[in-house]
Amino acid sequence: MIEFRGVSKTYPGSARPVVKDLSFEVLDGEICVLVGPSGCGKTTSMRMINRLIEPSSGEILIDGEPNTAMSGTKLRRKIGYAIQQIGLFPHRSIADNIATVPQLLDWDKARIKGRVDELLELVGLDPGVYRDRYPAELSGGQQQRVGVARALAADPPIMLMDEPFGAVDPINRSRLQDEFLRIQEEIRKTIVFVTHDIDEAIKMGDRIAILKEGGVLAQYDTPEEILTNPTSDFVTSFVGADRILKRLSLTRVSEMELEPANGSGEGLPTLSDRLTVRDALSALMGAGVGRGVVEGEGGRRLLTMEAIEGLTRGARA
Amino acid sequence: MPSPGEPAKAGDTLGLLQDLQPKLLDWGWIGENFGDEILPALIGHVYLSFVSVGIALVISLPTGVLVSRYRKAYPPVTFFTGILFSIPSLALFAFLVTVPGIGIGPTAVIIALVAYSLLVLIRNVVAGMDSVPEETKDAARGMGLTARQILFGVELPLALPVIVAGVRIATVTIIGIATIGAYIRGGGLGELIFLGISRNFPTRVIVGAVLATLLAVIADLLLLALERYLRPWARTRRA
Amino acid sequence: MSEFLDVFRRPDFIPLLVTHIELSVVALLLGVLIALPVALAVNRSPTLSAIAINIGNIGRAVPSLALLALAFPLLGFGFATSLVALTALAIPPILINASTGLRQVSPQVMDAAKGMGLSGAQILGRIQVPIAAPIIFAGIRTSAVQVVASATLATFVGGGALGQLIVLGFQRNQPAIQIAGALAVAVLAIITELLFGFLERAFTPKGLRVARKRRGK
Repeated sequence: MIEFRGVSKTYPGSARPVVKDLSFEVLDGEICVLVGPSGCGKTTSMRMINRLIEPSSGEILIDGEPNTAMSGTKLRRKIGYAIQQIGLFPHRSIADNIATVPQLLDWDKARIKGRVDELLELVGLDPGVYRDRYPAELSGGQQQRVGVARALAADPPIMLMDEPFGAVDPINRSRLQDEFLRIQEEIRKTIVFVTHDIDEAIKMGDRIAILKEGGVLAQYDTPEEILTNPTSDFVTSFVGADRILKRLSLTRVSEMELEPANGSGEGLPTLSDRLTVRDALSALMGAGVGRGVVEGEGGRRLLTMEAIEGLTRGARA
Repeated sequence: MPSPGEPAKAGDTLGLLQDLQPKLLDWGWIGENFGDEILPALIGHVYLSFVSVGIALVISLPTGVLVSRYRKAYPPVTFFTGILFSIPSLALFAFLVTVPGIGIGPTAVIIALVAYSLLVLIRNVVAGMDSVPEETKDAARGMGLTARQILFGVELPLALPVIVAGVRIATVTIIGIATIGAYIRGGGLGELIFLGISRNFPTRVIVGAVLATLLAVIADLLLLALERYLRPWARTRRA
Repeated sequence: MSEFLDVFRRPDFIPLLVTHIELSVVALLLGVLIALPVALAVNRSPTLSAIAINIGNIGRAVPSLALLALAFPLLGFGFATSLVALTALAIPPILINASTGLRQVSPQVMDAAKGMGLSGAQILGRIQVPIAAPIIFAGIRTSAVQVVASATLATFVGGGALGQLIVLGFQRNQPAIQIAGALAVAVLAIITELLFGFLERAFTPKGLRVARKRRGK
């Protein structure tokens, strides 16, 4: 668990703090996304966890211990670190890049090699093909994958990720996000994830910390809560006018309580229950009818506009 | 030879300086010979350097532009000019003066100085042309500019700062090498240095060496200022 | 022609060649030993790096003959004078390239290295120096070629070396000696240029070579 306790940061020579009295907890095994407009101190906040930046006041606890209990370099070797520009070492092969921290920790050669191959497979790169290549020989998306693998190398319980998928095109980003969520299912790391993109925050986060200018925490909640009950005008405008639709994209049709279709589904469009409610709504509107039949494990069920509205009722208040 | 002054008393710094000064620097000599010897040497040096850089530019600009278009010619051109560049100047002078029709004198020096400038200048012309963004050239083509208009109106102006950077390096190099040219009667500040060494008169050596250094440093700074001035876009970005 | 070849059989040819190489090698070594530690020491501070680079730039503008000539009134005639002057000549290119090269490593790479827990010394030794190696070597190459060329001038301040043959040819008006001396010097300089060019490539980490080739496309 990572705990911010009244953390503030003011850079020397600047009157205004970049982070102001920040207090929140990141639970073990969760992805906590720090999101906000530029200048909200999200990256600064993240970099204070592994002490690339030292707070001006307050403290950060990791598993109950202040992060100042050990030297900065020792601390950083226990925390995975992946950044948008990736920062792969251009003079080292992919394997050596991934092996950076295990080498610092003096793992034996066989163990390092095994780990490198395991990680390359985990991020979907064939070790036989990519192990001995150099960063310049990889595409942007492949480099991002290596960056994530490198951050995971010593199996750190905590990962810090600063816009780790920021440098790739939207299609690849979405694919990398999906892959990373799948990997997280397996590895269950405690992750602090920085992004400026609210959609990425909603997709990736178990919990989202929305920061506003001056480094003030505007709201810290699950994506559902933030979309349903934004606590301030700032959050409402930051999540966007389409927050109801975004809320719908968090739920799959299979999770809805729907009536069995029985015989009433004649002539209605048929939808898969793997769709998000948002996509299902779009399909219904596209078909020009207010209802459709959902097919899936729960059998044939009837999806209506009323049922969708029921989902969003809480959010309209 | 100037005569040494009174022996200095221990701890008497002023006395020590007065003791050393006439040996190393004879200000009186400098004053007496400024107009007849020092100034002409300085002017001769500036002339040698300017003429050489000028001729070198006339050769390098078209060569650089051509080579930036016909890329295959670039490696042999840099190899050849690179070999020229690495020949020690005294050796190149020694070769040149034996060539019939050249002989001892400023011509041999200027030929050598031009030869030394080619590598840096051509390389920077090519680098300058390369630094012009493809989009910019594309936009120019798209607006209907002819190849000639693009070269003179877009590419060369944008490449100019890099070219000037090359002129700067070449000029500093040339001012330095030109001193050695005095050995084959090219004139310039090297004359003071060689004469001072052969007559064992340090003042002449120091005046020649210091003026040559100052000339190189001043040329360096002036051309650096020009280079910055020609890059207004870099200035605004920094502001 | 035989007159020309005789120059290489002169009893003083080999000693002059040896002096030339000695002067050059020692001056270059001293230059590296002075310039590299300074560049490494100032690398953390942008201000000090800028100062080092500026001093190097001014140092580069000092004509080599002027350096030798200035050393002569202070130190007199001889090998030591030439060595001091040539060392002073060797320092600026190495200082400039090493300082710039070490600072040119991209901030993202530096950030990633620090974020993964490399210590300052590890970042310098494992990341900055290997990435800057080609640039540092280019500086050493420039110095080497300049030192070998300028060692020719050592003869004017009593330092010996191959320049002595050229001067002898001029003095006795024997073009054969002059040209043979010039040829020996030129060959030595070109060998230096090629040798260091080879070293520069050899010390470029493979990953950087790959990256450069890619960028060239």
